[in-house]
Amino acid sequence: MGYVLRDHTADVAVEATGASLEETFAAVANGLAAAGWDEEAPIEAPGTLGEETVDLEVRAESREALLFDYLDELIYERDVRNVLPVANRVDRLEQSESPDVMGEDADGGEGSDPSKSGDATDSAALEWSLSATATAIPLDSIDAREVKAVTYSEMRLEQVEDRWEAYVVFDV
Amino acid sequence: MTETFDADGITLERVEEYVWELPATGSMRVPARVFASRALLEEISGDRTLEQLRNATHLPGITNYAICMPDGHQGYGFPVGGVGAMDAEDGCISPGSVGYDINCGVRMMRTNLTHEDLAGRERDLVDALFEAVPSGLGGGGIVETDVGTIEAILERGVDWALEAGYAVRADLEHCEDEGMREGADADAVSQKAKDRGKNQVGSLGSGNHFLEVQRVTDIFDETVGEAFGLESDQIVVLIHCGSRGLGHQTCTDYLRKIERQHGGLLNQLPDKELAAAPAGSQLAEEYYAAMNAAINYAWVNRQLIMHRTREVFADVFGRPWESMEMELLYDVAHNIAKKETHTVEGEERELFVHRKGATRAFPAGHPDVPRAYRDVGQPVIIPGSMGAGSYVLRGGDRSLELTFGSTAHGAGRLMSRTQAKDEYWGEDVRDDLESGRGVYVKAQSGATIAEEAPGVYKDVDEVVRVSDALGIGDRVARTFPVCNIKG
Repeated sequence: MGYVLRDHTADVAVEATGASLEETFAAVANGLAAAGWDEEAPIEAPGTLGEETVDLEVRAESREALLFDYLDELIYERDVRNVLPVANRVDRLEQSESPDVMGEDADGGEGSDPSKSGDATDSAALEWSLSATATAIPLDSIDAREVKAVTYSEMRLEQVEDRWEAYVVFDV
Repeated sequence: MTETFDADGITLERVEEYVWELPATGSMRVPARVFASRALLEEISGDRTLEQLRNATHLPGITNYAICMPDGHQGYGFPVGGVGAMDAEDGCISPGSVGYDINCGVRMMRTNLTHEDLAGRERDLVDALFEAVPSGLGGGGIVETDVGTIEAILERGVDWALEAGYAVRADLEHCEDEGMREGADADAVSQKAKDRGKNQVGSLGSGNHFLEVQRVTDIFDETVGEAFGLESDQIVVLIHCGSRGLGHQTCTDYLRKIERQHGGLLNQLPDKELAAAPAGSQLAEEYYAAMNAAINYAWVNRQLIMHRTREVFADVFGRPWESMEMELLYDVAHNIAKKETHTVEGEERELFVHRKGATRAFPAGHPDVPRAYRDVGQPVIIPGSMGAGSYVLRGGDRSLELTFGSTAHGAGRLMSRTQAKDEYWGEDVRDDLESGRGVYVKAQSGATIAEEAPGVYKDVDEVVRVSDALGIGDRVARTFPVCNIKG
């Protein structure tokens, strides 16, 4: 359980596993931190790094989109607060009825193939959400490098027997 | 019999020297073409580049073929070194085929200094540049901005920098679109993107971005070299960076909007990262306006760094930068989409030309080449690694016919970052460059130096040789680093 950084010609890939989706998402997030900061040990040792935290509530229309948005939020927090989120923890991750429609407009009416319309609204009534927290390390106290963005390229999130596996490529 | 190249189930057919075609089969809308020598093709076929190129042929409205440049390598969605021209009326515009770092690019500034003028001051210069130009993560930017400033930067580009005292008129005349892309709308850029960008205006970032002081080692074409103001032994400055967090967030935002609004189109594509909005849709218009704004931001970013570099030279050499004739030669974008008119089968067509890790290379006489260079062709700047130097080319006569007016953008990576860190140690790379090659390197992180070690890149000489032989970008001059700063 945890993450491994995988080879990618130009970018960095994170492969992660966990007993639950919560654990797997947090492991990918720790991989994101490791892709920009070589000190792996502190990432594995929550609670010893200071008082500041990054606390997130994320909602999305699918499980993969939730993972994408969660990682994107961590990158956003890093840039605007000048902190690296490490020792990530996902406290709650669930699917529930959406209070509003997350699907927005599906294709159709915008010059696209009308036979394809409607497929994006199927899951509009349900949404995925999570609450997460991380320890925030000030960037000026460490030697970290930039990860630009999360990508959907080759993304994998699947249940294999009794555990979850994820694969995410980051643009660096 | 047609000569072929086989790579893991993908067979390319030789069309002419250095031109290879993957014929359209199955659901491919058009063939794919790779512009490379056999040696480069061996490297290109070593990762998922060809598979990603084949995926890109599925984009709606893609015209003629999906293109891979001699420096192509695996990226996300469209491969790096990719060119795709999509019909502007019934095709699409694809944020994923532009990339996260919108208008990542390179500019070169001339000086009238020679290598001899610099001798003995390399260490002072690299230290002063490193001190003055923000790099790495959390290093801030050259200017602090407020809401009004960021909106002016997004909509007016280098014209804002001119008004604010960070540019001179000649800088605008030597930049594509005079440093201001029309059709930019600050309102199309999200608050999140602006939040990320507001403290980073005038910063290099990390990864493969750098600022380099270089000396001109070779002039291959005296006439064009003279038109570009280049001569042997001259000192020039090369700056490579992009639109920072603002551009990264803009691409991310639109990728997600496309996923929610155009899921039907997305489901037809073999890679979700190719996400595209149908031409003419509201989202396509919004993305184009946001991307144009991010392009302006990136131009301002490189402009501020260049202007700061002028001030550093003035300090180190104890005289005004104007007396050192520190003038912008040209600025090229690597990651953009642009509405351009091209002739396709004898017909003029409006196309969104996506260049992802590829450089526009318009030939002499093209109306979009700045007046200063119209008689000789657009300058193309190809950065190489810290140990191999860089090239200046000019747009070649065959670029419009073969590649929608495009050529390569760099050496192209050969080795992953994780592997590079296993094979190289940053301090050793730095010491070897300094004692062996006379290159002074200073970086925020030793790991960055290891990841960017000369050995992780393809042979830039071979990339440029192929571009020259094809006639898409002709060799003009070569440079070699003296000082290099990076994140």
